[in-house]
Amino acid sequence: MEAIAHLIAAAEATAADEKNANAAMSAGFAYGLAAIGPGIGIGYLVGKSVEAMARQPEAAGMVRTTMFLGIAFTEALALIGFVVFILLKFA
Amino acid sequence: MLTAIVTQSNGRIVNVRLAASDTTDTTVVGEEATTLAAAPSAEGETTAETKTAPNPIAPETKELAWAAGSFIVLFVLMRFFLFPKLKQGMDARYAGIRGDIEGADRTKADARGEVAEYERALEAVRAEAAARVDKARQTVDAERQAKLAEVNARIAAKRAEAEAENAAARAAVRDQVAVAVSQVASRAAELATGRAPDAATVQSAVSAAMESAGSR
Amino acid sequence: MIALEFPEINSILRWKDIFPGFNKIALIAVLATLISVVIFLLAARKDHSTAPKGVRNLAETIVEFIENGVVMQTMGKEGLPWTPFLLTMFLFIYLCNVPGIIPFLQMPATARMAVPMFLALMVWVIYNGVGIKHQGLGGYLKSTLFPPGVPKALYVLVTPIEFISAIIVRPFSLAVRLFANMMAGHILLVTFALLSEALFQAKDKVLIPVGILPFVMLIFLTSFEVLVAFLQAYIFAMLTAVYIGGAAHPEH
Repeated sequence: MEAIAHLIAAAEATAADEKNANAAMSAGFAYGLAAIGPGIGIGYLVGKSVEAMARQPEAAGMVRTTMFLGIAFTEALALIGFVVFILLKFA
Repeated sequence: MLTAIVTQSNGRIVNVRLAASDTTDTTVVGEEATTLAAAPSAEGETTAETKTAPNPIAPETKELAWAAGSFIVLFVLMRFFLFPKLKQGMDARYAGIRGDIEGADRTKADARGEVAEYERALEAVRAEAAARVDKARQTVDAERQAKLAEVNARIAAKRAEAEAENAAARAAVRDQVAVAVSQVASRAAELATGRAPDAATVQSAVSAAMESAGSR
Repeated sequence: MIALEFPEINSILRWKDIFPGFNKIALIAVLATLISVVIFLLAARKDHSTAPKGVRNLAETIVEFIENGVVMQTMGKEGLPWTPFLLTMFLFIYLCNVPGIIPFLQMPATARMAVPMFLALMVWVIYNGVGIKHQGLGGYLKSTLFPPGVPKALYVLVTPIEFISAIIVRPFSLAVRLFANMMAGHILLVTFALLSEALFQAKDKVLIPVGILPFVMLIFLTSFEVLVAFLQAYIFAMLTAVYIGGAAHPEH
């Protein structure tokens, strides 16, 4: 009787294992994919901002402010990916 | 995280539960219902089975309440008490600084005017001094010229006088020499010829000889 | 091998009550309020006629940073009445972020969803309220949902996007940006601290010098968190100002 209980428990455990493995894998994919776009975006954004600042140093303050706003908006996408990662992994 | 708990707890579920409640917040269990309801995703069977800690993202009511309370208290204090007081001081100081700068500008302009005036006065004084010096120099020059002329005249007079004396003396000497020479010549002629020569002839011959000697 | 075991996620994010209903997050929030109040009280008590020094200098620098760096850049002169609000927001968020790297506190309060969620919801209520107050409900909805200068046919596409953006995405991204930044930083710090601890205490003596690498990374990340704490507070205040300014004066 006890052996059967153990078996059932083991089977449940493997099912849970598989589910958790899937969750971990999809979590990893979620974050990895979510980081691609914002990575390119932020790189492009900062590069262009530096170009603008070098071309017109007197406008550097304004460019920097706008750059930070742009980074904040772009970065939010990656961070949403990170939150999804946390949700998939731990929830 | 849940994975680890479930697999480990295979035989001894109670144990793991204890460990979980040890590490996590004890009051969480009481709030489970609210927090889980707030969390959108279905927890599934695992949560139900293991009664694990809730979603790490789900907000907690007490944290929300404390944060909101602190923020609102801070905002009210800042809005009605702290900020106006600080800002008043800043504005007062800035106004003071602005006033000081304006005062300094005025003073500077005044000083600049004074300097210009002083320079004008200085210029006038300098011109006057130059004129005076010129005048004095002219006077001095004139005086010097006059004195010089006077002295020159005196010197010339003295020289003329001396020359006249000189000439007179010389003439006297010559006369005496001519007299002596004519006496000697007439005596010599008397001794040679036996008779006295004509005085006028001797005199004219002596004076002619002396003329030629003097002209030599 | 090394005995590296990452702790249960809730054990690094949720804290036991210090006394019922009051945990570390609440403590940090209360401390943030207390520190701000003390700084401004001390600053206001000092003589304001001479050049500011010490606490007063600090307070005035913060005020001027908010005025010139946030309000004037986004809202212009008519936004100046919002300075106390944005100042409170910046100070509160910054002082909630910074405990993430302060020993013994070691937890940014904003890494718990409750704090950023409250702030973002408040901002949402405020900028919608400002928009309705300045333009009326109809005018606000019209200028938000039907931005001028767009071809009529495109409204089919633009209106839902604008609606989702203004009503859902803005507060959501505002909260998630702050929360996720701080939580990610916190988890990174925990990870590298655990890794260097495990390597320094490894049974295999060869591994002990290797522990310097994660330790250096830990130091670097700590200094990075100093920057992130400031930047997130700045961006939150900045975006709040942008949203409020946009609601008060829509693009003509």
